[in-house]
Parts: sequence; C-alpha cells; structure tokens
Amino acid sequence: MLGLSLGEKQFIKGGIAQDLRSDGRKRLTYRPISVETGIIPQASGSARVRMGATEVIASVKGRGGEELSTELSVALQRCLLGGKSGAGAAIDLSSLVVIEGKICWDLYIDGLVVSSDGNLLDALGAAIKAALSNTGIPRANVASGASGDGQPEVDISDEEFLQFDTSGVPVIVTLTKVGKHYIVDATAEEESQMSSAVSISVNRQGHICGLTKRGGAGLDPSIILDMISVAKHVSEQLINKLDSEIAAAEADEEES
Amino acid sequence: MAAKAASTPTTYSPSPTTQKTKPSFFKNDNVDWVRPDGRGFHQCRPAFFRTGAVNAAAGSAYAEFGNTKVIVSVFGPRESKKAMMYSDIGRLNCNVTFTTFATPVRGQGSDDKDFSSMLHKALEGAIMLETFPKTTVDVFALVLESGGSDLPVVISCASVALADAGIMMYDLVTSVSVSCLGKNLVIDPVLEEESYQDGSLMLSCMPSKYEVTQLTITGEWSTAKINEGMQLCLDACSKLAKIMRSCLKEAASASED
Repeated sequence: MLGLSLGEKQFIKGGIAQDLRSDGRKRLTYRPISVETGIIPQASGSARVRMGATEVIASVKGRGGEELSTELSVALQRCLLGGKSGAGAAIDLSSLVVIEGKICWDLYIDGLVVSSDGNLLDALGAAIKAALSNTGIPRANVASGASGDGQPEVDISDEEFLQFDTSGVPVIVTLTKVGKHYIVDATAEEESQMSSAVSISVNRQGHICGLTKRGGAGLDPSIILDMISVAKHVSEQLINKLDSEIAAAEADEEES
Repeated sequence: MAAKAASTPTTYSPSPTTQKTKPSFFKNDNVDWVRPDGRGFHQCRPAFFRTGAVNAAAGSAYAEFGNTKVIVSVFGPRESKKAMMYSDIGRLNCNVTFTTFATPVRGQGSDDKDFSSMLHKALEGAIMLETFPKTTVDVFALVLESGGSDLPVVISCASVALADAGIMMYDLVTSVSVSCLGKNLVIDPVLEEESYQDGSLMLSCMPSKYEVTQLTITGEWSTAKINEGMQLCLDACSKLAKIMRSCLKEAASASED
C-alpha cells in the first residue's frame, strides 16, 4: 500500500476525471514502451519490456524454472492458452508437434518483474509477445523408418531454427476504473485508487481471447461491455506500436 | 483404449470418464447433439442448497448441482493475525480445496490457489467489509465431488454460507458459467463438456443490485458472443438467487419454530 495523503489521492482522482493524469497523459494513453529482444543468451527467446518505471523480462525455453506469482500467471494463462480444446490459443500448438501424437516441444515461459510501477500484466503480456517472436525452436529431423511402435529417433539440429507465427498472440489491455472513468496503463499510485480493474486480451482480429476482472467493487454489465469496446480500440494502437518496437529491437539485435 | 487394455495394469483404476478424443457429435455444428445428461443447451442442472452443514462454523452451506457437491464453512469475524497491519475495514480470507476423491483420477483437482483468489474476488465486492473492522472472516470451501462448473457452485454456495453466518452483504452473489462448444453456448457445463470446450465464460453477479462482481473469459470470443453469454448467465443468476433465497428463508423459519 502506498502512503498517499488525502490531498494526493484527490489530485489523482481529480486529474483522471479531467482527462489529465499526474504524469501528463490522457486516460487512454500508454506510457512510452521500449522493447529489447534476445537479452538472455541461454533461452530460446527473450525480451525486456519497459513501460515507464515498470520493467519486466520474459524468457521462453524448452524447460523452465520458477513460477510467477499465482495471480499473474493464472491471468496470463487465461489470456494466452485459450480453451481446453486448444481453440483460440495464442500460438498455434500444432507448430510444437514433432511427431504427431508422440513427441512435441514443451514451451516454458518465465516472467521476471524487475521493477514494478503498475500495469504489470500488460507489460508481461507485451514481453511475452516480444519473446515469442524472438524464439527459435531447433528443427528436429525425424530419423526415417522409425514409424513403428518403438521410440522414434529424433535428431535436433543446432543450426536450423523454426520461428513461430506470432501474429495471433494477443495483447493485454488492463482498464482500471478510478471514480467514474477508466484509464489504461495505470501507475502504482493510480492503481491504489482504483475501484475495480478488468484485464482484456485482444488479438489482431479484434477478438477477445481472455478476460479477467481483477477484484474491487461490482460493475454494471453495460459498463463491462463498454470497457470491452474501449479495450478493442486501444489494443489496435498497442499492437501496432508493439510490432514496430519488436521489429526495431530485432533489427538492433542482428546488427550488434 | 485398445492399447491400454492389452497391457495388464498392476493396480486397478476406473476408466477415466473424460475420453481423449472428441466425440463426433461435438465436431459437427449442424447436427443437433444431445448433452451428456440430456439437458437443453440453455437449461441448468437442478440446484440444491442447505445451510448449517458444519456445526463448528459460524455459518455453512452445502450445495449440490448434479454431480458437483461442495461444502462451504464461514468462520468469524475473528481477530486478525497479530502480524497483520491495522486495517479499518475487515479482511476476507478464502480457501478452496478439493478432496482427493473429488476427481476421477485421485488428487487431480483444479488449481486450488487459482480458485481461492477467484472466490475472493467474486465475494469481496459484495461484502460490507467496513462492518467488521480489524477482524477477518475466513471462508473455507471444500469440493466433495467435482462434476463440472465447480467454481460457480463454490461461489454461490459461499454467499449462502456468508448469509447464514450473518455477515453483512449488499446482495447474494450468484455465479453461472457457459461453455462455448463450436457455435453453441451451453450453460452450466458438466465435466465432460468442460474438457472439450473451445472457450468458457464465468460470470458472478449480485442479481438484485444488477452488478457483476467477477467475470472471466477464456478462449476466443466475438463481442456478439460475449453479449449472448453474459445475458444467458445474468438470467440464470437471477433464477439461481431465488432458489438460494428460499433456502435461507426456510432455514430461518425452521429455527423460529
């Protein structure tokens, strides 16, 4: 809990009501986002995302380590994994298949919060999207004639890598409701004044891939529907911004 | 299955009810398939509630929706732990556990931590926390048998238990989920349907106040479909609230006699 005086609280709430937040942003403006990819050489793919003072790192690897705090990881799972049947998932799971029904890649995604100044879920979502587009899975060549019942032999190439199609990976937009209005990309100060928040993940087609209400007071159903349409609108800009940042980061990485 | 039968198992285990492959009728959207328990797509399972399942608790409730059976007990308000900081509003502590025999395969309940935080979020908006400052209310939910839509049943049952314990609330919280199977939305899915679903939507609301306390969506949804799903859930929630209310009234009139 942040120690804010009554005056500071009023200042934050009043600013949001007037569409001018304490750092000069409008309600639906994100902080500047910076993306770096390929920062962890040991992982198959990795990215660092900064949004103001919030900084997170995501890595993708064949085998994983620690888990995120439950709430964040469950929310991310909900946004990325889709339904139980695999429909609506962020990544085409069939691209992980080496031999159908027998061998597949297990992807482990680890997120690390370096510094937290609000809006962690959106930042982690962005970092994962960047890390996935940076990920190369080694090409696996199946030894021919191993189609019998025995364990097939797989030769994993060290040089050839397969890239994922990450165009379907959604972005996460968290709308934080303060007073009567809602804002995107809330800082920790603003989050302390929230009455409720809804995280919505939207893909490029404008379809909702996941939604979680994150605590707080109840909301009228019509407000939720309005939030969904606002999130769709905001996500278009965010996806474009992220894609250009990711492309720039990858170009940087190749140069160096 | 043929391969499984050939290898002789060392220990007996019942055949899992959830098959690995999708039955053909779920695939074809044009065929009018029948739900495993013969319900209509928009028809909920019969619900049963009873308060006072646990004597030691301040309030408790038992709920049964088809095969899904849960007990929720509420303790408190009682003094918060010494380590807790001073708070001028009360605290709510939720814990959901599965019995080891709740699922077809022993000890494979859903993620308990996830359920606990979801239950907390669904209830906190409805409870008047300022009526019990400095103290904590504990909500313990135990899933006796997992038969699908476990979390919605836990949430509804918990709000009945809270009412039984005399905790002040703005309204009862009711919760219903729908599953998306192909083009169809089925309400109150059973375990089998949940394992094939393309997406799910769970909504918890306060029907009299007409406010949503929790909403989670998984899978890919269009806005029109979300609208349809939410409306289905809201309608079912208000009907469910009537059943819960009548259960509470029955308990109250029985204790008067």
